[in-house]
Amino acid sequence: MAHKEHPEIRGHMPSFSSNKSTPPEHFLGFGLGLRTDHFQEVLDTRPKLDWFEVVSENFMVDGGKPKHYLHAVREHYPMVMHGVSLSIGSTDPLNMDYLRQLKSLTNELQPEWLSDHLCWTGSDHTNSHDLLPLPYNEEALNHVVDRIKKVQDFLGRQILLENVSSYVTYKNSEMSEWQFFNEIAKAADCHILLDINNIYVSARNHGFKAEDYLQGIDTDRVRQFHLAGHSDYGDYVIDTHDHPVADPVWDLYHQALKRFGWISTMIERDDNIPALDELLAEVKKARLIANDVLVKA
Amino acid sequence: MTQLSLKNLQQQMMNYLLEDDMTIAGEITQQGNITNQVRLHIYQNAYNQRLKEVIDNDHQMLGLYLGDNLFDQMVTGYIKAFPSGCRSLRHYADQLPEFLKVHPPFNDYPIISELAQFERLLLTAFDAADTTRLTINDLQQMPDLDWPELVLRFHPSVQIAYFSWNSVESWQALKAEKSPDEAANKENIWLVWRNRQRLTEFRSLDSEELSLINMVLKGENFSSLCDFLLSRAGDNDVSHLALSYLSTWIEQGIIRA
Repeated sequence: MAHKEHPEIRGHMPSFSSNKSTPPEHFLGFGLGLRTDHFQEVLDTRPKLDWFEVVSENFMVDGGKPKHYLHAVREHYPMVMHGVSLSIGSTDPLNMDYLRQLKSLTNELQPEWLSDHLCWTGSDHTNSHDLLPLPYNEEALNHVVDRIKKVQDFLGRQILLENVSSYVTYKNSEMSEWQFFNEIAKAADCHILLDINNIYVSARNHGFKAEDYLQGIDTDRVRQFHLAGHSDYGDYVIDTHDHPVADPVWDLYHQALKRFGWISTMIERDDNIPALDELLAEVKKARLIANDVLVKA
Repeated sequence: MTQLSLKNLQQQMMNYLLEDDMTIAGEITQQGNITNQVRLHIYQNAYNQRLKEVIDNDHQMLGLYLGDNLFDQMVTGYIKAFPSGCRSLRHYADQLPEFLKVHPPFNDYPIISELAQFERLLLTAFDAADTTRLTINDLQQMPDLDWPELVLRFHPSVQIAYFSWNSVESWQALKAEKSPDEAANKENIWLVWRNRQRLTEFRSLDSEELSLINMVLKGENFSSLCDFLLSRAGDNDVSHLALSYLSTWIEQGIIRA
């Protein structure tokens, strides 16, 4: 599918003299996570957005309103699919029923790409419904790489994996999260979705520098950014995705743009869903920051 | 030192989330001012909170009926009894009516299980498969000779609910922000479905319509439906009555094309 034009960006781009100022082919622009609260308003007002991300599992239903709205919105916007149940790091066998449903939804929607998380969500067929961190060691690396390859073979396409917020570091980790992430992406030949908020949250919780994470991630694998909010408890930060994007995360986004250039960026709000306008204002802010960093500079 | 395998580590983490088994704490690196107990508790809290929110969202009127304390007791008990084996949270609380039927103190009040059952049926109707629905126009174009052999099929969202208490009336009262009547024992049957506007609807069924619906479910044809009505109505015009049922069903969108 052809990528959407981005008049606002192009209007500010007199020349494309360096790689950083020229959006790459995979750049979709600035998007938003589609939420049920906004279905009707999106259809009624057709907000100026370049794309939507949808949570795959929310539409793995037989029919009814969710599917109706999904297809209605799809008619007007490019989409990417974002899953939460792949459990790529679990030691349970891959859930082939899930993968079949995912493939079927992919065929229905024809998304630009699909993503999930670098994590595990359950074991022994019990689901935590949470994005649990992996140990960063050789065993986990080989295990995850093998499974990504199987998933990509089954789906017939590359996937993106996203960094999760975490609160624990396992004693048997042997490398940094970003080294682990790079090695996996390279060995499995998959792409990376960087959640800028999750980097901030994990950095605060584990005491590493968020900048080190950004600088440590290979530039050629990153295809998407998530921007989201969190809850700050002083000693630690919890990734709640239920607040506006916080200032330190906007600052980190600024730095991420400098390192990675034009990367499709979206606002991801999962809870405490505000009025659509509020989220559109955050999307606009991301767009303006990208223009400042990548065009005006 | 031998490394803990990935499989064992994952089992220990799940044992903590589900059983509060702290073995995993020994596998966590101490960092900064936050204890490992606090770090792990963030995960356990998220686990319980997430499942509670699902039950809360799926069973809002049940929540009102029970009040906060009993609702929390139900949620805690259900999460303990039913660790999630489902991929999607949409189906996490599917066993809640069963849980309420057998676990004290809820099993002393059967209306509670029925309320949960009714709310699950509404959810099922909400996202059941789509299909084209039969229209009056379809019937008008059908040759007269085909009528006796006509076999109807219901829309995938259609469900029949058998209750022994005034559960649906209580649900309706709570929805209207009114106090429900005292629980009262009464056999009643309801039809639940999703209409053409994709809104979930329900209405009560009398014994005659229920019999007709059960005949349709068994694949019996229109002629059999008329015979059944004839056996009940004597000399009355049963074809008129049968058509009246049929046109109501079509109007309400419960018959598939």
